[in-house]
Amino acid sequence: MIRRHSRSAIFMHWFNAVCWIFLLFSGFALLAGDMQPVGRWWEECWQGLFGDRGLLVAHLAVGTLWVAVYALYLVVFGRREALPFLREVTSFDVKSDMLWCAKKGLWLVLGPKQTRKLGIDPALPPQGFYNAGQRLVAVLAVLSSAGLAVTGLVMGFCSGASEWAVSESVLQWCIFAHFCCAGLMAIFLPVHIYMAALAPGEGPALRSMFTGFVPESHAEHHNPLWYAALKKNG
Amino acid sequence: MARYVMLIDSGVCMNCKACVVACQQRNHVPYGLSRNWVRETDSASSPCGAAFQPGACMHCDDPSCVRACPTGATWKNRDGAVEIDRSRCIGCGSCIDACPYHARFRHPLTGTADKCDYCRGSTPGQTPACVAVCPTHCRIFGDADDPASDAAKALASRKAVHVIPAGSGARPTLAYLDATTPAELPAGSTGSRLDAMRPLARGVKWTGGLVLAALAGTFVRQLVKSSEKEDEELERERRNAEGGRDKEDKA
Repeated sequence: MIRRHSRSAIFMHWFNAVCWIFLLFSGFALLAGDMQPVGRWWEECWQGLFGDRGLLVAHLAVGTLWVAVYALYLVVFGRREALPFLREVTSFDVKSDMLWCAKKGLWLVLGPKQTRKLGIDPALPPQGFYNAGQRLVAVLAVLSSAGLAVTGLVMGFCSGASEWAVSESVLQWCIFAHFCCAGLMAIFLPVHIYMAALAPGEGPALRSMFTGFVPESHAEHHNPLWYAALKKNG
Repeated sequence: MARYVMLIDSGVCMNCKACVVACQQRNHVPYGLSRNWVRETDSASSPCGAAFQPGACMHCDDPSCVRACPTGATWKNRDGAVEIDRSRCIGCGSCIDACPYHARFRHPLTGTADKCDYCRGSTPGQTPACVAVCPTHCRIFGDADDPASDAAKALASRKAVHVIPAGSGARPTLAYLDATTPAELPAGSTGSRLDAMRPLARGVKWTGGLVLAALAGTFVRQLVKSSEKEDEELERERRNAEGGRDKEDKA
């Protein structure tokens, strides 16, 4: 078995997952009228559960907790974990990564036999610690998280009767940007959940998000570049 | 359910602005701001050379301010009033931009949107201050569906005139009796930055829905015929083929 995730990374992953799902669901329920992306039933369901004011307070409380814990994590583990993670997810090989995404899509939707019949070799380009799909979603998640955190804090603490209240124009831009970031992740999050938890062959990777370890054979097959680097470094 | 309306006989308004002051006093509106107004228009037919038109939030049907609010902090009550829940309002000003009558403002102390609420916030159940104080009784407030109310009687006996800003499509419930000057208001900007959120919300809904449908389809496909098993079959076929070639070479 090879260690793939540290305990702190595992904790942050699941903390992030719980906060994100709650914030996404409750945030969409806070929107009204034509700006409600799910439907009136969604708004009524959540507001029935928390109350009109309660839902806003809960969203703000969980959002603040999420930002605070992340800030703490960055202070403590910034250099050791966050920076290497950022370096890893932002190292793209555009041609190979696009090929990986297209072939992985075909592999899932058509299957390798059908892909081969189309004259396309179903073999995926070798991947490092993260595959191309994971890196793409990670970059979007990091950018969206930063956008959500900044605009969320402005709306939560620099609005209304606050002495730091910003102008109406800034608040409108914040709402717009907050929604754009949340909408983007609402589309990519289900893809990540499927690819990580339900797609065939991903069982060991999912279990590693709890245990921290993956079998050597899995790493060799799914992350050959990372595996080769590990072997090289002993 | 009652249907409250404000009716104004602007022909008897003498522009004393008692309604404006009374509203400011009762609702603690900060100096320099106001929930209502008296519009002055030059008029040769008027004895004083000007026509006066008192106004305030028109409590529109299908209000643009309600459509513009992203958090549902403002809504149209079933009794006809357009209300604001200040605990849900973050003061983004989208409703202020959207109102074609410019009847809303951001309260500098609460930081939230503010406008006429028929004095429900300050003195619930009482006659609005502007109605109670008017020395010429030019304002009538009441339930339009109650035949015994002054409002219903006025609506039955006189013509109700609505003043609508050009091109706004507003459907005000505040009505002037018989006639008023000006009969129409000029068009003004009523857009906000959040207007772009409506098509964006539809985009998220449809794209998200399509993604979920595609994932569900892929999930079922993988349950029925796993790509991983196909990989293993292909690998077996490849090994068998290689084994066959080796035998042929040896032979």
